[in-house]
Amino acid sequence: MFMEHSPVTTNPLIIMLINMTVVFLVLVSLIYLIKLIHFVDPTKEKPKPEVEEDEPLVAVKSAPAASAPAPVVEEGINSEVIAAISAAIAAYGFAGQVKAVHILNHEGTPWRAAAKFNNFPRK
Amino acid sequence: MEALNAFSVSLQAVWNDSGFSAFTMGNGIMILVGLLLLYMAFVKEFEPLLLGPIAFGCILANFPNTGFFGEEMNVMKAINYGITYEIFPPLIFLGIGAMTDFSPLLARPSTLLLGAAAQIGVFVALGGAMLVGFNVHEAAAIGIIGGADGPTSIYLSTKLAPHLLGAIAVAAYSYMSLVPLIQPPIMKLMTTQAEREIVMKELRQVTKFERVVFPIVSTIFISLLLPPIAALLGCLMLGNLFRESGVTDRLSDTAQNALINIVTIFLGTGTGMTMSAESFLRTDTLLIIGLGLVAFMGGTAGGLIFGKIMCKFTGGAINPLIGSAGVSAVPMAARVSQLVGMKSKPGNYLLMHAMGPNVAGVIGTAVAAGTMLAMLK
Repeated sequence: MFMEHSPVTTNPLIIMLINMTVVFLVLVSLIYLIKLIHFVDPTKEKPKPEVEEDEPLVAVKSAPAASAPAPVVEEGINSEVIAAISAAIAAYGFAGQVKAVHILNHEGTPWRAAAKFNNFPRK
Repeated sequence: MEALNAFSVSLQAVWNDSGFSAFTMGNGIMILVGLLLLYMAFVKEFEPLLLGPIAFGCILANFPNTGFFGEEMNVMKAINYGITYEIFPPLIFLGIGAMTDFSPLLARPSTLLLGAAAQIGVFVALGGAMLVGFNVHEAAAIGIIGGADGPTSIYLSTKLAPHLLGAIAVAAYSYMSLVPLIQPPIMKLMTTQAEREIVMKELRQVTKFERVVFPIVSTIFISLLLPPIAALLGCLMLGNLFRESGVTDRLSDTAQNALINIVTIFLGTGTGMTMSAESFLRTDTLLIIGLGLVAFMGGTAGGLIFGKIMCKFTGGAINPLIGSAGVSAVPMAARVSQLVGMKSKPGNYLLMHAMGPNVAGVIGTAVAAGTMLAMLK
C-alpha cells in the first residue's frame, strides 16, 4: 500500500512547487503534442490564398444577375422558381451562371433519375 | 406456559437482532444527514444523480446489525470492493470520455495552461490541511477536492486516506453542485467589466484525424510519465476514442449511458456506505468541508489569474472568464463562464471557448493526483 512508504517530503510548499511544475510541464507537453498532431495531419485543409477567399464575396455582391445572359426557361416554370434556383446557385458563388432551366422527366426508376443527375455538367 | 416462554424468547431474539437495540445517537444524526442530502439532491437538484445514491448509502450505512461489512459476501460488500479496489472511478472516466468533445481543446491548445493553473487550489488546500494537523497523505486527498473532480477525489482518497473517503466525496460533489453559486462572485471580483466583455475569435475546425489521434497519443505519453493514473486517464481516453472513431457507436453509447449510469449508482451508494457515524461524525469532517471550499475557491482564482495573464499576453484575445472553467466540473464550470460572460455582454458566447480549459482541468487534476501519488508513496 502507498501509505506504508515514507513520502519524499512533507513540506507543503515544496510539494506545491514540485506538483505545479509537473502539472505545467505535462500540460505544456500536451500543447506541443496537439500542435504536432495538427502539423502531421494529412487531412487538414491547405490554407487558401487571401485573394481567392475574397473573390466569391465580391462576385456575389457585385455581379448582378442582369449582367449575365438570361437563362433559357422552359414553359410552365414561373419566375419565383427561377429566382429561387438562381439564389441557391449564387449562394455557392456562381452568380449569373444559370444558362437554362428545364423540367426533368421523373418517370422511370430512381437509378435513371440518379444517372440523369450525374450527367449534369459540373464546374 | 411453554408456548408463552418460547414466544417471549423469540421476541427477545428479534429485538436483540434488530437495529433498534444497537441504535446510537450518532446513527440518528447520520440518518438525518442522509435525509438532508436527499433533500438537497431531489428537491434542490444539487447533483441529484450522485448525491441521491450517496445520501441513501449514508442512511443504509447507519443501520446497526445489517452485517454489510461482516465476513460473509453480500451486495453492499461487493459494491464497497468496487471503491476499495479503485474499479468505479476509472469506469466513470470511461463514460465521461465518451461524453466529452475535445475539439475546443484541440482547436486552442493554449487553454491547457488554464487547466494547469486552476490546480493551484489543490495545493493551497493541501497546505491548509497540513497546517490544521492532517498528515501529508490526508492533506493530499483533501486538497484534490479543489480539482472539482469527483472520481479523481475518490480515487486519490482511496489510495491515500481511505478513512476520509466519505467526507471527501461529499465535499467534492457538494461543491461541484454549488459551482453556479461559488464561482460567479469570485469571477466578478477578479475581472473588470472590459475583460468580461471580450469576444473571443471563433475556434478553427478540428479534423477527425486530430480527434482520433489525440486520445491515443496523450494516453501513451501521460501513462508512461505517470503510471499511477494510467487507469484513470486510459479509461477517459478510451471512452473518447469510442466516441471519435466513428465505428464504435454501440460502445460509445453504452459507455456514455448504460455503463456510466450503472457505475454511478454503485459509486454513489458505495461512497455513502462509508459515511458511518463513527467515521463521519468528527471535527475532521467539518475541517474537510471547510478546506474543500478553500480548495475550490483557490482553483477558481488560479484559473482566473492565469486567464488575465493570457489576456494580457495575447493582446486581449482571451476572455479571462474562461479561466475559471479550469477546475474540472465538466460542463458546469464552462456553463458558468458562459452565463457570467452573457450577463456582462449579451450575445457573447463563451461556452465552446470555456470547454477547452474545462476538459484540460480534468486532465490537469488527474496529473496532479498522479504526481502526488508518485511523490507520497
